[in-house]
Amino acid sequence: MTNPLTLAPAPRSEAAERLRGEVRDFLAEEMAAGTFSTHVDTWLSGVDPEFSRRLGARGWLGMTWPKEYGGHERTAMERYAVTEELLAAGAPVAAHWIADRQSGPNLLRYGTEAQRREILPRIARGECYFVIGMSEPDSGSDLASIRTKAVRNEAGDWVVNGAKVWTSNAHASHYGIVLVRTAPVDTANRHAGMSQLLIDLSLPGITVNPIRILDGGHHFNEVVFEDVVVPGDMLLGTEGDGWHQVTAELAFERSGPERFLSTYPLVAEFGRRVVDSGDPAALAVLGRLSARVLALRQMSLRIAAALDRGELPNIPAALVKDVGTTFEADVIDEIRRVVDVLPSLDSPDPLARALAEAQLHAPGYTLRGGTNEILRGIVARGLGLR
Amino acid sequence: MASDQDLVIETVRGLLARHEPFDPTPERRWDAGLWSALAENGLTGVGLPESAGGSGGELADAVAIVRTLASGAGAVPVAEQLLVAGPAVIAAGLPLPPVDEPLTFGHAEGVRATPAGDGWSLSGTVADVPWGGAAAHVALLATGPDGAVLALLPTAGLPASGAVNLAGEPRSTLELDGVPAVAAPLNPAQVRELRAGYALARAVQLTAALEQVLAWTVQYAGERQQFGRSLAKFQAIQMELAEMAGEVTAVTALTDAAVQALHHGSDDFWLAAAAAKVRAGAAVEVVARLAHQVHGAIGFTQEHKLHHLTKRLWSWRDEAGSELVWSKVLAQGLLADGPNGLWPALTRVV
Repeated sequence: MTNPLTLAPAPRSEAAERLRGEVRDFLAEEMAAGTFSTHVDTWLSGVDPEFSRRLGARGWLGMTWPKEYGGHERTAMERYAVTEELLAAGAPVAAHWIADRQSGPNLLRYGTEAQRREILPRIARGECYFVIGMSEPDSGSDLASIRTKAVRNEAGDWVVNGAKVWTSNAHASHYGIVLVRTAPVDTANRHAGMSQLLIDLSLPGITVNPIRILDGGHHFNEVVFEDVVVPGDMLLGTEGDGWHQVTAELAFERSGPERFLSTYPLVAEFGRRVVDSGDPAALAVLGRLSARVLALRQMSLRIAAALDRGELPNIPAALVKDVGTTFEADVIDEIRRVVDVLPSLDSPDPLARALAEAQLHAPGYTLRGGTNEILRGIVARGLGLR
Repeated sequence: MASDQDLVIETVRGLLARHEPFDPTPERRWDAGLWSALAENGLTGVGLPESAGGSGGELADAVAIVRTLASGAGAVPVAEQLLVAGPAVIAAGLPLPPVDEPLTFGHAEGVRATPAGDGWSLSGTVADVPWGGAAAHVALLATGPDGAVLALLPTAGLPASGAVNLAGEPRSTLELDGVPAVAAPLNPAQVRELRAGYALARAVQLTAALEQVLAWTVQYAGERQQFGRSLAKFQAIQMELAEMAGEVTAVTALTDAAVQALHHGSDDFWLAAAAAKVRAGAAVEVVARLAHQVHGAIGFTQEHKLHHLTKRLWSWRDEAGSELVWSKVLAQGLLADGPNGLWPALTRVV
């Protein structure tokens, strides 16, 4: 009776709810101490290594990983509660976000024992940050068309040439997991011949060029590799298996609550405004937005529960990301229709600031991590259409 | 448990196969044959305790029956009986009428309930009573001398208007002029729960119909050939079906959670139900529009089955409280703890 993309309901996790309370107390202390101010889309723009270390000290990074690698052997449901609380508060989580969300799990799955022992505990302490090396200047949605190349030299090391773009916070990160072509293009199987390399961003031959987004913020970069010599043992996983590994990584990249909560701080600010005004039209809009948040939470919780069951729900994750990121952008105009506020990044009015931040970041929501057109193609496959 | 529920669903599907959807007429407003078959199979008292005259079983079983009937466009007052009026009558301590006789529900704040002898007397007008001309009994949320009451009365002999919703389902106006009834007072929390239960019943029906419309549309896109290939092979169509799937999946997740909130007796059930009704109603716009777009002209005719469900979607979303009504209730409830209470409330409700 339900469609093939519907996952089983998530059982309520009392452990996760207890943890949620601890995170709220922590955030209240931090805010009281003035260590951060709330912003929209802070998992892209809120880089604060000190904050990341404090999260690490609390045991809120690397939460689901084995203890022997610095993890805390918590459930995905518990991690969900922590990440959701941090996002809803608009806390500065960008420094560690990628490493904690997908690079760490990728290393756990495909890294060598030495890589895991050296890097994972540092990620879990909030000290080591990663970038995603997938997109290139000429390869966006068509990821299999990448041209960055790695060739083995006589010493058995990899010599890398090419460029990666949209590498969020590369200027503040330590490593990249970079998808490279390690064999010539096979026209019969365009997904073959790619591999993932674990690259130390301080290596000679790497240049990080800033790319500013619409609000002038420097989060994106172009990372250029010119004859960069990467030690041979920094191959991640299996040579030639890069496409398969990237697909697994995308399950982590696409499945979290950051795919519907990027603009939640704007909704929260709008809610405060509605309490003050009591405007019935605004109340109705808040109710409609809230119903969408509640549905998205249930969808996202189902993904977390599926991860706890050991599944990699790639297709449901693509669907939730499509619905969630659409919501993130819709929020802006839904609110605009019932408030008379001039959006401005430097306004004293927090609602005006939140609207401005949300608007200037809006084009990104439905692009990053796979465009909604690509996601809908994946959903269509899940429906058996292709 | 799951196998019991599967059996219930299979039974209802079997009955629906012998009682296909039809375009109602003034002569045939509901499916009396389907109702009788359901009653003979003991399905019209499921989820209502045996001690009160019901058939026993879980809320989940009753929800499964309502969903299956909704996806098959069954023209019977089962959602009203199993999820709204039946539980309300039992909770109010009133005698449950025999479950093989259809029982419905009406919002009747405009009806005055006055104590009269051992019972009560009802006067006033109540509109939009689902299945008003078909049900044998009606439970009304009426206004007594000291606040809300739930009144229960037989409908025999009552004049019922022939009003119908977009799908032709009776939504009658009843005129009451000193009609005798049994009744019990309700406190404000009970009234809130009852209204929410009615909204959830419609949300459950909407959810099932949305799922079915998606399934029909996916199937049709796979079968219909144009330009030498199936519609499903066109990217433009794939995008539309994926958008529909997103909406439907969201609705299902939230409605399931609201049903769970009811099952667990959550204090926030009314907010969960409000959210489910709002979310399901909002999805109708996208899902019905795109379903018709993909089906093309045939879906715009009574020759194709699609309209049995899309017309119900367009009706049910505005019944039992529209999105406007419930979105305001939801927002007010979520903001009850003040300007910083929204997020804690959102994570508590479901």
